Amino acid sequence: MKIIDVRNLSYDYVRRDENDKVVEKSRALSDLNLTIEEGSFVCILGHNGSGKSTFAKLLDGLELPAEGTVLVSGRDTREEEALWEIRKETGMVFQNPDNQIIASVVEEDVGFGPENIGVPTPEIWKRVDRALETVQMTAYRLKSPNRLSGGQKQRVAIAGTMAMLPRCIVLDEPTAMLDPSGRAEVLRTIQDLNRREKVSIILITHYMEETVNADRILVIDEGRLVMDGSPREVFREIERLKSYRMDVPELTELAWRLKRRGMPLPDGILTREELLRELKHCLPAGRAEDPPLPEHREITDPILRISHLSHVYQKGTAMESYALRDLNCEIQRGSITAIIGHTGSGKSTFVQHLNGLLEASEGEILVNFREKLPLLPEEKRFLFFRLRRERKRPEGEEISIETEGFDRKALRFKVGLVFQYPEYQLFETDVLRDVMFGPKNEGFSDEEAEEMAKEALRRVGLPEEIWEKSPFEISGGQKRRAAIAGVLAMRPEVLILDEPTAGLDPAGREDLFRQIDELHRVEGMTILLVSHSMDDVARYAEQVLVLSGGELKMSGSPEEIFSHIEALEEMGLGAPQMSYLIRDMRRAGYALPGRPDTVEEAAEAILSAYREGERNA
Amino acid sequence: MLREVTLGQYYPVDSVIHRLDPRVKLLSTLLYMLSLFLVKSWSAYLLAVLLLAALIRLSKVPFRFMTKGLRGMLFLLLLSVSFNLFLTPGEVIWHFYFLKLTREGVRIAAMMASRLILLVLGSSLMTLTTTPNQLTDGLEKGLSILKLLHVPVHEIAMMMSIALRFIPILVEETDKIMKAQMARGADFESGGMFQRAKAMVPILVPLFVSAFRRANELATAMEARCYRGGEGRTKMKPLRYEKRDFLAYGFMLFYLLLCVGSRFLPLP
Repeated sequence: MKIIDVRNLSYDYVRRDENDKVVEKSRALSDLNLTIEEGSFVCILGHNGSGKSTFAKLLDGLELPAEGTVLVSGRDTREEEALWEIRKETGMVFQNPDNQIIASVVEEDVGFGPENIGVPTPEIWKRVDRALETVQMTAYRLKSPNRLSGGQKQRVAIAGTMAMLPRCIVLDEPTAMLDPSGRAEVLRTIQDLNRREKVSIILITHYMEETVNADRILVIDEGRLVMDGSPREVFREIERLKSYRMDVPELTELAWRLKRRGMPLPDGILTREELLRELKHCLPAGRAEDPPLPEHREITDPILRISHLSHVYQKGTAMESYALRDLNCEIQRGSITAIIGHTGSGKSTFVQHLNGLLEASEGEILVNFREKLPLLPEEKRFLFFRLRRERKRPEGEEISIETEGFDRKALRFKVGLVFQYPEYQLFETDVLRDVMFGPKNEGFSDEEAEEMAKEALRRVGLPEEIWEKSPFEISGGQKRRAAIAGVLAMRPEVLILDEPTAGLDPAGREDLFRQIDELHRVEGMTILLVSHSMDDVARYAEQVLVLSGGELKMSGSPEEIFSHIEALEEMGLGAPQMSYLIRDMRRAGYALPGRPDTVEEAAEAILSAYREGERNA
Repeated sequence: MLREVTLGQYYPVDSVIHRLDPRVKLLSTLLYMLSLFLVKSWSAYLLAVLLLAALIRLSKVPFRFMTKGLRGMLFLLLLSVSFNLFLTPGEVIWHFYFLKLTREGVRIAAMMASRLILLVLGSSLMTLTTTPNQLTDGLEKGLSILKLLHVPVHEIAMMMSIALRFIPILVEETDKIMKAQMARGADFESGGMFQRAKAMVPILVPLFVSAFRRANELATAMEARCYRGGEGRTKMKPLRYEKRDFLAYGFMLFYLLLCVGSRFLPLP
């Protein structure tokens, strides 16, 4: 039976001025035709701004079509009487977990939907019990949502829709704001609902790995349905997907590369097991020995040296707790260093020490910038006199930020910190002026600040026609860049980025990383990257710091770190897809050179083993 | 850290007073306040003190939490006491230059002080034993009569409970935005009044934008969950009077009668 039937659907974005006159009209969706079977698991892919969120809202009657019809189990969303029935039957879960929980207690929030549709009280309790059970949140029913993790909040939101007894749930990027463990937790819940409760699922996502188990994938590009098929069918066409700013799962990409280089592999491989099975036919089995661990790379020219850094909350009381404990590490000048750790491991606290936003409880940070910061003069007040005396910089290049007279405010201009979702800090009337905010705070004149801002905007690749626009008018990806430019304009020597690609589509992530990599390669900027994505860390970082429970657990090159998969998993982290594959291949007895952790490296390693086999045969 | 902010001053223990219907607690607090203004004699005040002491005991809230509310009132209390002490005309019992202490003054000041203290303690007892959400619920149900006058009682209560949920989130967000602007060299501490006010712009604009965005998203989420106002809604936790609630009402009524009666008796 068809649960959703969309015919000739079109939708326009309409912008109106103060007098309600239409200023601008642009087509968001055009001439969509599709049906979705009851009980199926359908994923919708599309880049930022492709119209997929609008499509989700149209399915629930939150937006109404400009042309064509949307039928949800036979009812037209444009009929007002049908609307409440439709919303009862199709639940919706949105991206931001905070903005969809209404009540201050978990169980009351789950009961909100049934209350609205007038379910009798005893029945509400039964539904709430059952809904919490299905998402396994019963233990948290009396908690405040503010005390839950992102993944738990999303499960509460899912329970909230389940309590309405829906036949279908539409999820609009429910995992975009979560960390990997939260993402896995939500995805597991969704798959369970589909399998056990037979609820139809429509999942909108940017993460290709989440779609592998779907029954069907729809790709929307510029408001049109451009691809429609099983994951195997869709992911077979890698080049076409990339032209829609999408991507394929890393394993699929690896298999595709291997095939193109002459290995006899089928198209559209999706999982590790599948790839392993296929590789068995073309690789010679032998005795594999683990290659030696790569040598620990020494840090020769540290720009930052962190020694015995601790941060204690409420020291000396019974509530004393360490956010950071005895951290020791060095950051190589001009390198990309990744900081990984699960939520609450102390990553954010750590980076906020580096630019002086937080003060260390114990220990110190030593900096060695190319441009030496002058010390603040010693100031003494004596009645109406103010005595100023130059302070002498201690000998040596390096200086501790705890040094008497060290200008902590100046440190913020040397160590630029880009927070997570930095676009939420934009405030000026146009982009250029917003980017000038930092340099002007630094004390530069308007002309100088403008020059610096323009340079920064060019470096993040924002075209000139956007500079004069309001930062609230431009697209999400452009906002992100403008915000990063706002920090770059201060010409920092160290740039810290906290999850810079969160919420961007695959091509957006790729573009941004390429630019960051360029800052590092061309200008020799030192970059610290806080990231959840092990694949990105493997690809871009030269050094990795692993934090857990406020302590530095490991540090070294990515090859070194990702050789310890078990230790990482114990800390609630993972390793890149490729590291898992290579580990499994070695276990199966294939000899592979090196320690590849990116697709390119893995492809080379497998190919060399393949060629070796060919030669011997 | 900021998420730990608690609103109101609810003290979470399980007691008879905690379990009472919020409407009972709201109305009883009002009646108790009324009684304090009714009584004139010391013996009636003693009754009020004894009642409150018994209720505090029943509520299992430590007394030091009760007195927290008093601390804020201390200045007002001292001011009104000293005014009454020295400015009431009557039989002078002690004087120091122009300051005259009168017998009537002492009596009125003492009455005033005990009235104020009891008032504050009484309302603290209510807020300490009722969660903000129960209070909103109680207000919504208790004031539902006003619906006849077209007062949007349900909407007001919904707004209050949403505000309660989002205040900690917005506080945290403010902190985040402040840090982000500080990372761009913003300075909120130095400068004169005007400069400091100007320095708030980079915080307030993003905060408002984000608050509106949240409001918009929340409205969509509520609509998706079939919310359409108070009409035809049922309650997961409806307020229903239990036996103890009626007993409490009866008890308060009896107390009020005693207070009214005390006015007509020649009590000290």
